[in-house]
Amino acid sequence: MATNPSTYALSQSSDSKQRLQQRRRLFQETEWTRSDGRSFHQCRPAFLRTGAANAASGSAYAEFGATKVIVSVFGPRESKKAMMYSGTGRLNCNVSYTTFSTPVRGQGSDHKEYSSMLHKALDGAIILETFPKTTVDVFALVLESGGGDLPVIVTCASLALADAGIMMYDLVASVSVSCFGRNLVIDPTSEEEACQDGTLMITCMPARNEVTQLMLTGEWTTAKINEAMELCLDACSKLAEIMRSCLKEAASGSS
Amino acid sequence: MEVEAYRRLFPLPFYERHLLDSVRPDTRPLHRARDTSIALGSAPFSFFFFCPFRLLLQKICPVASADGSALVKIGDTTMLAAIKLEVMTPSADAPDEGSLAIEFHMPPICSPVVRPGRPAEVAPVISKQLSDVIVSSGMINLKELSLISGKAAWMAYLDIYCLNADGSLFDAALLSAIAAFSHLQIPLVSLSDDGRVVAVTGDLLEDESTPELVNKERKLLLHSIPFSLTCILHKKYILADPTAEEESIMETSITVVLDSSEQLVSIYKPGGPVLAHTSTVKDCIVLTKHRMKELQNILEESLSAMEVV
Repeated sequence: MATNPSTYALSQSSDSKQRLQQRRRLFQETEWTRSDGRSFHQCRPAFLRTGAANAASGSAYAEFGATKVIVSVFGPRESKKAMMYSGTGRLNCNVSYTTFSTPVRGQGSDHKEYSSMLHKALDGAIILETFPKTTVDVFALVLESGGGDLPVIVTCASLALADAGIMMYDLVASVSVSCFGRNLVIDPTSEEEACQDGTLMITCMPARNEVTQLMLTGEWTTAKINEAMELCLDACSKLAEIMRSCLKEAASGSS
Repeated sequence: MEVEAYRRLFPLPFYERHLLDSVRPDTRPLHRARDTSIALGSAPFSFFFFCPFRLLLQKICPVASADGSALVKIGDTTMLAAIKLEVMTPSADAPDEGSLAIEFHMPPICSPVVRPGRPAEVAPVISKQLSDVIVSSGMINLKELSLISGKAAWMAYLDIYCLNADGSLFDAALLSAIAAFSHLQIPLVSLSDDGRVVAVTGDLLEDESTPELVNKERKLLLHSIPFSLTCILHKKYILADPTAEEESIMETSITVVLDSSEQLVSIYKPGGPVLAHTSTVKDCIVLTKHRMKELQNILEESLSAMEVV
């Protein structure tokens, strides 16, 4: 709104910059404890549930630590009028954030980068031939951003797709690893993400042992990459177990 | 399955057959609202989301990223409201008043009708209605949002997200707004050397070098809280708290807002094929009075649940 006077968010205290630098130095050391008490190779407790929004054909809610995401799936339904004819189905993804998801109030707009990455992560897993000429819409809303947002969105989205009964080769699970000096830290929080040297994110189909997306940023050595991938793939297959049991629970509950 | 087909092909006759027996397809009597529940803060979110109604929440702590928040469910309609406080310089004509900015969002997840990039038409309408009702009811004394007269005051950003749209959106949005305000915890602040307002956290409070606190109250006092009920008018029938399906089939709706001393705050009847008689409007007001008592109880329950923990 144009009439609003300009406002500013409270800063915790004047020495927050110093604190950030302190943290950064701390993370470079070999031994430190994570703020939530996890060990380096331990993921956050995951809560997954399908059927969060019943206006949709399928939906899921995921809560990994402070990160909270809802994904709704609509369709298969009529493609947009402007679209060209297509013999196979289309996948349309959109990720948006709430204005209160981040510590400083945001605009709550669409996240274009995550939207396209979500699309690429899911594209290979969905059997698009099963819904020719139509579109499946995957919409994600991040209620609270607490780090590792994209992996949570991807995991939650594949669960929502399964809930909607969209044919897939396998569930898609996703985990990220941050690199700090000599340490690899799995499933980072936003505080850790702010200080990391590099990150590796894998989205994969654990039952088929196939990777749909791999993203690597920052400074890595080959040995570290191998170690991080092992770590991620292992965590993904465990996450897929949780996802599977969540779907089984939902199926046995409704029948 | 035949009933389902009939329902889809001839929705209006399907509903009218039910109305003859004074019952609705979801087994409610005409004047009954759906089950309603409120959760304050967002830690119990996951439990709350899927639990049977009013199963009480064990652990309550506020959203880390917001100063006040609430999740409200009326039937399947779900609203998440959160308040973030920021500091502003008050305008010259009201130097000792804070300000409110209320926005209602309908993200594409909430309904098959809403698509990204094309916001729902009703969202700005509900935004406007909400801020009109909240401001005109006098629920919040803007003077309480003042920090230093003429220098600094709170700007309260209230954002309401519809997570699932199944009718009576305004009622659910208003209830979540009220619940978020009653959950609001105002941070303690002091003035820094460069004239900015900074937060004072727990460990700094004991420190003697801490500059003087600007504010003491951590809670807003809510005066006469407004509650609303939307009804659908169809022929001679009044259907309280309609679902999305009912709203799409029978188009005339009327929304009544009363405050806690039973004064009218607003009546909103946006056209529609049915013209309301004075007696019908009166009936709606009576229904709203009953609904208000229910909602007051539910709000008190959720507040006391928060205090226990």
